[in-house]
Amino acid sequence: MLHTIPVETLGAQGEAMAKAVESCVHCGFCLATCPTYRVLGEEMDSPRGRIFLMKEVLEGAMATADALPYIDRCLGCMACVTACPSGVEYGHLLTPFRARAEQARSRAPLNRTVRTLVKETLPYPDRFRLAVQSGRVGRWMRAMLPGEIGAMLDLLPEILPAAPPLPELYPAQGTRRARVALLAGCVQQVLAPQINWATLRVLARNGVETVIPRGQGCCGSLSLHIGEAAQARDLARRNLAAFPADVDAIITNAAGCGSGMHEYPLLFAGEAEAAQAELFSKRVRDISVFLDELGIVAPPPLAQPFTAAYHDACHLSHAQRVTAPPRRLLSQIPNLRLVEIPEAELCCGSAGTYNLEQPELARAIGERKARNIVSTGAEAVITGNIGCMNQIRTHLELLNRPLPLWHTVEVLDWAYLGKRLGD
Amino acid sequence: MATITAIAPQTNADVQEAVCANPQLVVRGGGTKSALLAADTDAATLDMRQLTGMIEYAPGEFVFTARAGTTLQEVAATLAEHGQYLPFDPPLVEQGATLGGTIAAGLSGSGRHRYGGLRDFLIGVRFVDGQGRLVRGGGKVVKNAAGFDLPKLMVGSIGRLGVIVEASFKVFPQPPAFATLRAPQPSLDAALTTMARLNGSTFDIEALDLLIEEGGSVLYIRQGGLATTLGARQESLRAWLGGGEALPEADEAAFWAGSRSIGWVPAGWALVKTPVTLTAIPVLEQVLAAGGAQRRYIGGGALAWIAWPGDLTQLDAYLTQLQLSGLVLRGAATWPFVGTRSGASLAARVKRVLDPDNRFPIL
Amino acid sequence: MNLDGLLDELASRFPAARLLQKPAQLAPYESDALTAFRSRPAAVLLAATQDDVIQAVRLCHHHSVPFVARGSGTSLSGGSLPVENGLVIALNKLDRIVRLDPAQRIAVVEPGVINLDVSRAAAPYGLYYAPDPSSQLICTIGGNVAFNSGGAHCLKYGMTANHVLGVKAVLPDGEVVQLGGESLENVGPDLTGFFVGSEGLFGVALEITLRLLPKPQLYRTVLAAYDSLEAAGDAVAMVVASGLLPGAMEIMDALAIEAAEAAVHAGYPRDAAALLIVELEGERIQVEAEFAHLLQVIEGSNPKTVTVAKDDADRARIWKGRKSAFSAVGRLSPDYLVQDGVVPRSRLGEALATIERLSRKHDLRVANVFHAGDGNLHPLILFNGRVAGELERAEELAGEIIQMCIDLGGSITGEHGVGMEKRQHMNTMFTATDLEVMAELRRALDPAEISNRGKMFPAGEAPALRSHGPHPLERQGVISRE
Repeated sequence: MLHTIPVETLGAQGEAMAKAVESCVHCGFCLATCPTYRVLGEEMDSPRGRIFLMKEVLEGAMATADALPYIDRCLGCMACVTACPSGVEYGHLLTPFRARAEQARSRAPLNRTVRTLVKETLPYPDRFRLAVQSGRVGRWMRAMLPGEIGAMLDLLPEILPAAPPLPELYPAQGTRRARVALLAGCVQQVLAPQINWATLRVLARNGVETVIPRGQGCCGSLSLHIGEAAQARDLARRNLAAFPADVDAIITNAAGCGSGMHEYPLLFAGEAEAAQAELFSKRVRDISVFLDELGIVAPPPLAQPFTAAYHDACHLSHAQRVTAPPRRLLSQIPNLRLVEIPEAELCCGSAGTYNLEQPELARAIGERKARNIVSTGAEAVITGNIGCMNQIRTHLELLNRPLPLWHTVEVLDWAYLGKRLGD
Repeated sequence: MATITAIAPQTNADVQEAVCANPQLVVRGGGTKSALLAADTDAATLDMRQLTGMIEYAPGEFVFTARAGTTLQEVAATLAEHGQYLPFDPPLVEQGATLGGTIAAGLSGSGRHRYGGLRDFLIGVRFVDGQGRLVRGGGKVVKNAAGFDLPKLMVGSIGRLGVIVEASFKVFPQPPAFATLRAPQPSLDAALTTMARLNGSTFDIEALDLLIEEGGSVLYIRQGGLATTLGARQESLRAWLGGGEALPEADEAAFWAGSRSIGWVPAGWALVKTPVTLTAIPVLEQVLAAGGAQRRYIGGGALAWIAWPGDLTQLDAYLTQLQLSGLVLRGAATWPFVGTRSGASLAARVKRVLDPDNRFPIL
Repeated sequence: MNLDGLLDELASRFPAARLLQKPAQLAPYESDALTAFRSRPAAVLLAATQDDVIQAVRLCHHHSVPFVARGSGTSLSGGSLPVENGLVIALNKLDRIVRLDPAQRIAVVEPGVINLDVSRAAAPYGLYYAPDPSSQLICTIGGNVAFNSGGAHCLKYGMTANHVLGVKAVLPDGEVVQLGGESLENVGPDLTGFFVGSEGLFGVALEITLRLLPKPQLYRTVLAAYDSLEAAGDAVAMVVASGLLPGAMEIMDALAIEAAEAAVHAGYPRDAAALLIVELEGERIQVEAEFAHLLQVIEGSNPKTVTVAKDDADRARIWKGRKSAFSAVGRLSPDYLVQDGVVPRSRLGEALATIERLSRKHDLRVANVFHAGDGNLHPLILFNGRVAGELERAEELAGEIIQMCIDLGGSITGEHGVGMEKRQHMNTMFTATDLEVMAELRRALDPAEISNRGKMFPAGEAPALRSHGPHPLERQGVISRE
């Protein structure tokens, strides 16, 4: 698209933003795959429309505040990137735009409170654990609380699982084939610590030694995707320092984290850490990609045949283009039948903290996903992201179909251990 | 009622002149659709048979352009020399039907089943309207989206919106060989069910006609294509049908020629074309059987040819009741439409533009 | 024209969530896929029911306010470009498939139904909807009807008009009409056919009865690479001369191949000057026999490589590349113009040579994608709008290509329609009398010219192009601002 964006005034990310606008040919192919367009049916809430609005703002033809409601409603799921024949890197426009907008906007007090809670709690496991525990106490007040807080409470689990601390090193079983470092994550450590343990065991079973660097922390993706660029950089810097260089890969088992860490180069464009961020990001691998590339030891068959639906987390399938590896891994487990979910390209509505910021839309989108899952007749749902697990669980329960939600690596772990799925 | 003046134009300008000079005008081609020539006024007749001849034909383009008075016979022969044909299989070729008359009546034959009817193959048209204007619509290439689709407007306009002087058609390669199965059916219902199944199947069928013969409902199914594979294909079809006899080659050609010439209509009976659907046929059948009509359903149940004995008023009433429409092609009728008509108000608006003075009969 | 009157009445009947009036809401509706044109409407109505549409049209008629109906806004000719300060009636929420009758092989749909969704709904019955424009995963039936959309597979089965059996529409003056019906046949003037392709000038279709076809038993697809576009064009002539009737025949040149590969990695041969895709479809026994014949013909046309699709996945990949080609060209160039001309197939070689010459003359690259089977060309003129003068040169080149199509006896548009983009060329394709009659027909349905005003017919005013200085057609003396 023709534009008159004053690139030079936009800082280090200006080029990337302008390039995204330029490569958009306004063909509309993205509308078919955008969850908000599917639900709302209006051009402003489509990738094509949002690109146009962001262009207008950057050109100075529109006030940021006017465009923001529609930019806010964007899930950041990147389904449009997958669908776009013209190669528009929508994320390279959206993320910096949100960061710029964040500086300028004034938020309503309630909204600020929620954002503060999110910013200052989620990235820090100890604080988050505490918040969850006190949150449970507040649940009985739910009816009296405004939408966004209520949404947060709704997503809290009933029981917090036990979380033994992770070791510094987890050795390989048998001959060592590779050495990796694990990003332990933040929210996941509190809500589903078993995923990290399953990850360690599966890696070990496949001859991979894992280091869990001390001093690491949240990767910053949550902050990055809600426009808090400065906080994202602070958190990321910590990891840039904490992770060793002498590993074959930096492993993550959360799609949101993997996607965020792959955006480090853009985040640090023009900063001192630019080169380091580039190197770091190149070594990041989702656990499914790493295992698929490595080639896994054949898992033993499940005791009973089992049918599960594989859900593509949008930050894995669209943002990182990872769709085949998890399916290939799972299909190596005999007696496990994978079924595809209709409208698989659509986000579940979790999208980072979207379900907190846009509860109504997230609900509509989440319900659509849950119905699609139920239609497959699957006994469980397997996916690669903690956010999705939470969101889908909530919406399946609302439909009275409480199917279990498992991580890809948990399923592999059970198979290797000869246990029943869900044990 | 004898007409007073007969004009035989030889050029488009002649046609324009004739239109301007005569307050009332009826157009005729080969006269094969006699009911469409009726006029109860002192209308002059415009005899188009001298406005004849192929203008352009590029077999490699799958397109030809010809003057409206060209006989279908001439067109078919020219196309056949290059292994091509009119895919919509227009009727009354032997009887001298012209291209213009066929378009005006909107007639397609049994072969419409494979690729579509006349309207799907007409790509360009030139006509003289009621104000003597020479107008062109469409073009001479198979793909064209410029301007309003005036060619479609002319299809079925029975000479009441303008005089067609020239037409361009898309054509296809003619199948090298044909074979036909004759499959008697135990009942009308069975016949319709089989037709529906066949219509939804992956068999490539050239023609699918339903005849109501003495013994009951009979399906005639024509396949066309490479001679080498035709036998196997017919066998496959017969197995799928669970029966049917292959017509010998000479009989098979004769049968479809007979279909084309609509010779089965008894002398003096009216001939009416009625668009139908498979769901409409059972009720229509009751009415037609009761009225002593003879009939055939062609195009996989898309069209009914009705031969009606006697006065058309009764048929008109029946069709109206069934919400079906009909075009009277032969028979005593001052008004060529029977049954219901959709879009009449839009047609009236169009008529007011193209023929404000009603030089042509009313629509 | 009483815009305020209209807006007041609309506001009293529709909630703000469905009557968009804020600048940030209107801006995204200013263009469709032809971004050279922008025009801001006064409001956008997100219609939810057929009745909404009828009400809106009647109100517009009453207040003499122009309106434009819009589906997914994917028109390449500016067909859904709003009229400045007029109303946009968005139909994308009218997305019900009212009825699908597999035995009758028809589907009755509302105009906002996405083209591909018709085939998806018909698939369980072994049926599909044949017209397949490249944008079919998002374009709507309403838009297809307005522009008589084509696609790669219309050589054998025709365009949208050949698959529409009936239309229920609201005319611009508010009358609701029912045209056609459910039968494949018709009596009286073919008004349904007349409505299709009228580019929104005859009102808004509310319900469309579509014809469905059985999915062919077998597709056989071959991809042949050539050292020159001419060789590919000759191959097409040979296929045609052999008496075969393919379901589709498509050609892409080197630039288009490069773009498509970058976009979807279809696995196209990278060093070819031209690619030819030929597809046969039908009954298995017949198709296998014809395909053997086709391969012989292709081998005899001196190809560099020949690839036969082994299975559905292969076939899907081949088509994905072709269908992404237009949009994929966005990777090669910041901007481009899509053309849509037709030339008689025998003059294809000549046309391509001319395009190449014109491309050199204007110093702009042109990628070529086209429906070789029916001579429908899609030259994609690449330019960079940020470089002074390039947009103007691109427009000039576009005008010369269109003129060439007319000179060779073709058409100014094969399937994208005239819309905004090619209005001025209607003068060269049709005589003044032709246009006069068309204009009168238009006014018979729309005396105040409120339905998609300013489209299709040559206008006295220059179109609202975002360029500087006189429009190339103004410089050529074809149009004037006076």
